[in-house]
This record gives sequence, structure tokens and C-alpha cells, in this order.
Amino acid sequence: MIEFLAIPGVLLIAGAALLTLFPERVRPALFLVFPVIAIAIIFSRPDGYSVAGALLQYDLVLMQTDTLSNLFGFIFAGGALVAGIYAYHLRELGQQVCALAYAGGALGVIYAGDLLTLIIYWEIMAVASTWLIWAKRTPETNGAGMRYLIYHVLGGGLLFAGILWHSVTTGSIAVESIPAEYTPANVLMLLGVAVNAAIIPLHTWLSDAYPKATMTGTIFMSIFTTKTAVYVLIRMFAGWELLIFFGAAMALYGIYYAIICKDMREILSYHIISQVGYMVCAIGVGTDLALNGAAAHAYNNILYKSLMFMAVTAVMYSAGTSKMFHLGGLYKKMPWVLTLYVIGGLSISGIPLFAGFVSKGMVIDAAGYGGHETIMLVLLVASVGTWLSVGLKLPYFTWFNKSDYEGELKPVPVNMYIAMGILAFACIFYGIFPNALYAWLPHAMDYEPYTVYHVVEITQIALLTFVVFWWMKKKLAPELTAVLDFDWFYRKAAPATRLIFVQNVNSFFARVEDGIQYSARYFARKFQNPMRWLNPFSDEKNEASTYSPSMEVVMSFILFGFLVFAVVYFT
Amino acid sequence: MKTIHWIILGIIFVITLVLEFTVLAGYDSHWWNAIPAFYAIFGFVMCLALIFSAKFIAKKILNRDINYYD
Repeated sequence: MIEFLAIPGVLLIAGAALLTLFPERVRPALFLVFPVIAIAIIFSRPDGYSVAGALLQYDLVLMQTDTLSNLFGFIFAGGALVAGIYAYHLRELGQQVCALAYAGGALGVIYAGDLLTLIIYWEIMAVASTWLIWAKRTPETNGAGMRYLIYHVLGGGLLFAGILWHSVTTGSIAVESIPAEYTPANVLMLLGVAVNAAIIPLHTWLSDAYPKATMTGTIFMSIFTTKTAVYVLIRMFAGWELLIFFGAAMALYGIYYAIICKDMREILSYHIISQVGYMVCAIGVGTDLALNGAAAHAYNNILYKSLMFMAVTAVMYSAGTSKMFHLGGLYKKMPWVLTLYVIGGLSISGIPLFAGFVSKGMVIDAAGYGGHETIMLVLLVASVGTWLSVGLKLPYFTWFNKSDYEGELKPVPVNMYIAMGILAFACIFYGIFPNALYAWLPHAMDYEPYTVYHVVEITQIALLTFVVFWWMKKKLAPELTAVLDFDWFYRKAAPATRLIFVQNVNSFFARVEDGIQYSARYFARKFQNPMRWLNPFSDEKNEASTYSPSMEVVMSFILFGFLVFAVVYFT
Repeated sequence: MKTIHWIILGIIFVITLVLEFTVLAGYDSHWWNAIPAFYAIFGFVMCLALIFSAKFIAKKILNRDINYYD
């Protein structure tokens, strides 16, 4: 029992249930206890530790540890802890419970040793995270949450179908690397994971829902869903060449939208797609360096991406809007938030001495040395776009551009600063001491980030990008616009879809029902008195009470005879 | 941006160029290493290309009124 409760995923989900029993005052502090225990468990379990279970005829592996799962497990538990600190001021039971259960689901996926355990946690994540969108309770978020849920139910369904098919054809339900063959089972599983990894064009749930979720909800969401999918891709689909191209396409696609969009949270959400693109690309390359790069980049990305989301959310909390059109000139009033954001921005752009530099370089180099030089250049273009969009454009139009911000500002809670401070420290720490991260990576490798070549490469790119930004910045000025994406097909097509699949079906059934009732009435009337067919002058109504007794006796005998015959014949 | 900032950025750029032509003179792992100051040119050209192409796509296809979906 203790062994079972000490599975990080189970612990956090049980913790979520426990949270409901405690008064409002202690809940935020109690929230933090569970991730801390999870971290302690992760550090206390040796590599190769496993917990077995059984379901029907299947032998389940409820928990299994190795270097890769510990790396993700630690950053997920740590991420839940820091996001919990950031949300410490929150007094909403629903959001707290769902956020913890969501983190539990993500940790469960990381440590799941078999595919059935994995899919259960996978679905828990989908359901729990949906509440983080719905909790805002506006018509807009009601719709977005429903679209998000439907998308994830679809993805989960594809994955589950793939798992069942896979288990029938191969007889195995282990979470293990599968050969790059496009069998129906493998394709279904890949599609299911691709939904969560936001691989284009299956990414629209992310860019649709993340900018609309609750303030702290988006931070939890930016940590878990895509990164669990990246983890599963590393485990199961390493070396699938298709992923290289989709990854590179994602990296560029996310960048374009990050340049075009004008809402801070929208920009960062699209930028997640770009960042996950790097990881997906590296997983497709599949060499030791590439897989290490994907894992390290996922780890670092959680640090700086949530830092940036937190800083942006602090501005939103304070100023009441995330539209850059209404912002600008905040540098005097929110200098610390700016500083913390810039640390995240420098990290994500891969500037030397910050965390992104030590992992992004691995991915780009792995592509280059894996024989994909064109892909390497595409990823470098995406780096230019990263620095341009989230490194320069977003902070410039939020904190500068105007001489001062005139609107009302609410003070930012201290707990938010603490959470951001921890992440900013981690970004700088891993940037200066990359070996602290490299020591945790799953494969042995020989990679040195701080070579003259790497530093010259990124410095030249960053400097000239900055010059162009400064020269062209008016072209990127914020305006109030909505930006179309693939979700157009199901959002604008919703009336047509509803017409075809709901209204037409409904009216068809209604017509069939009318027809059946009409014919039932017709036949009931016609068969009321079959005598009328022969003798039009007989009684219109054939009342049983007008029968003579002898007639009744004869009819009773006939019916009884049928009954006896039926009993004898059929037994 | 004050003049002093531009001067600092200029100095850093010159340092990277010096490093490229001294320490990295014989470096050759990709075809583009033969082009002098490749990454500077790359950053400049690609940034311009990104801004203009993104602007073009936004204007022609993607941008709609803010209440488009309501």
C-alpha cells in the first residue's frame, strides 16, 4: 500500500483528493507538500526500481525508473512546486485540485512502465487540465475548453486504439522503443501522441486554449502536456525520420505566429509549438546527442518558458490585460518583472551564459552532424525568430515603446516574485554550469557548449537580429487583430458541421418517428374492425362489450389453443 | 538605445569577427563555414525575411477583426 502511494503520480492525485478536505487557509501550503514529497521519492528510488500490478490478464508496471524518467519526473515535480508557489495567492478549490491532479497525471505518464497505465494517466491529464480553462467561466472559455477537451478525447482515443491494436499484434504493452514501421497500430499511437505534442496541424488546441485559460492555469499547462508527449516520443518513437521534418516545420510555424500575434500569452503559446518543434526534430534525428538534446531542451524549456509565462501573467494580473496594444511603458513601474522576463527571454533565445544555450545548441548540432544540414539552417532561422519575437518584440512593446504606462496597476503578490526568482536562478545556474544538467542525461555523450565557434555563431546572429529589429520595429507594432489558424476549419465550420452532423441527423430521426407514429395510427384505425373491409355497413367501432358470450368463449378457446400449441411446439 | 549601447554592441561584434578570422580560421564542419561572417549575414537577412514574410502572410491571409469568432 505504501509502495503504491509512493508512486509520484498516485501521490499527487491522492493529494488532490485530500486537498478538498482542508480549509481554504492551509490549502495553498498543503498543495506544495505533495510535489516536495514526490521529489524526495524520486531521489530515493534507485535506477531500475519498479512497482508491479495487475489488471485482468495484463501484468502492469505501475512505476519504473531510469535516468530519463527521473530527469522528467524531477522537473515536473519541481515545476508543479514552483507553479504552486506562483499560485499561492489563489483561493479556488477547483483550480487547485485540478492543477495537482494534472501534475499527478503528467508524473504518472513519466513513470508508467506499460501502455495501459500510461493511457489512464494520459486521460486524467486531459480532464484535469480542461478545468483550468473552464474555471474562468466566460462564454469564450466555455467554448475553448470544450474544443480542448474534444481534441484531447480524440487524441486519447487514437492512442488507446493504437495501444490495443499494438498489444493484440505484438502481445506487448511495455512502454518501449518501437521500430519505425508505419503499421496501423504504430500510426494510431503516433497520432495520439502527436496531438499532445502539438505537432502541426494538430496543434490548434494549444494556441486556442492556452491564451484563454486562467492566469495560473496557463502556467501549469505550459509545463506538462506537450512535455509529457515529448517524453513519450523519446521513449517510443526515437529515430522516426518523419519527425525531423515535422519538428522543423513546427519550429518555423510557431515562430511565424509568434511574430504575427499581438497578445502576450498568444505569442508565448505559439512559441511553445516552436520550442517543441526543436525537441520533435531531435527525436527524429535519434542519435545519442540528439535524444540528450531533446531531453535537456525539454528540461530547460520548462524552466524558462514557465518563467516567461509567469512574468507575462504578472503583467496581466497587474494591468488586467494581455494585449500589447494596451500596454507599453511599464519599465518604470514593473522593473523586476521586466528583469525576470528578460532572463527567460535570453535563455530561450540561446544567449551564452543562459540555460537555452546549453541545450538548444545540442539539438541544432545534432541535426547538423546527423547529416541534416538544411534542417540545421531551418532551426537557426527559428532561433532568429525566437530572439526576434519573444526575446525582443514582446518585452519591447510591453515594457518600453511608450514613455510611461498610464493605467491602474494592481500590486504583484510576493509569491509570484519568489516563483519567478527560483526559475530565473535556475536559468542562469544551468547556463553557467551545464554539467549539472548533462550529468542527468540518459545517454553518454561528448559535447562542449562553450566553444569559440558556438559563442561566435550565436553572438553574431543575435547582434544582427537585434539591429534589424531596432530598424524595423515599427512593422511589428501591436494592433488589435484576431489571427486565423487551422482551428478556423472547425470553429468557422461549426455551424455547417452542426447542420450536417446534428441538425440534419435530428430532423431525419424526427421525420422517421413521425412516419412511424402516423402509420401506427393508420393501422390501428384500419384494424380496429376488419369486418368493415367486407361489410362497409357494419359497426364503425368494434367494442368488445357488444360481443355475445358465445363469441367470447369461442375466441378464448382459439387463443388458448394457440398458447398450448406454442408451449408444446417451442419447448 | 543610447550611442554608448551601440558602441558596446559594435565592439562585441568586432570581437566575434576577430575570433572568427583568427581562432576559427581553419574551422570547417559545414559548407557555409567558408563564407566570412556567415552567421552575421544569416541573422541579418533571415530577420528581415521573417519580418517581411510574416507581415505579408498576416496581411494577406491571417489577420481578421478582433471579434471574428464571436
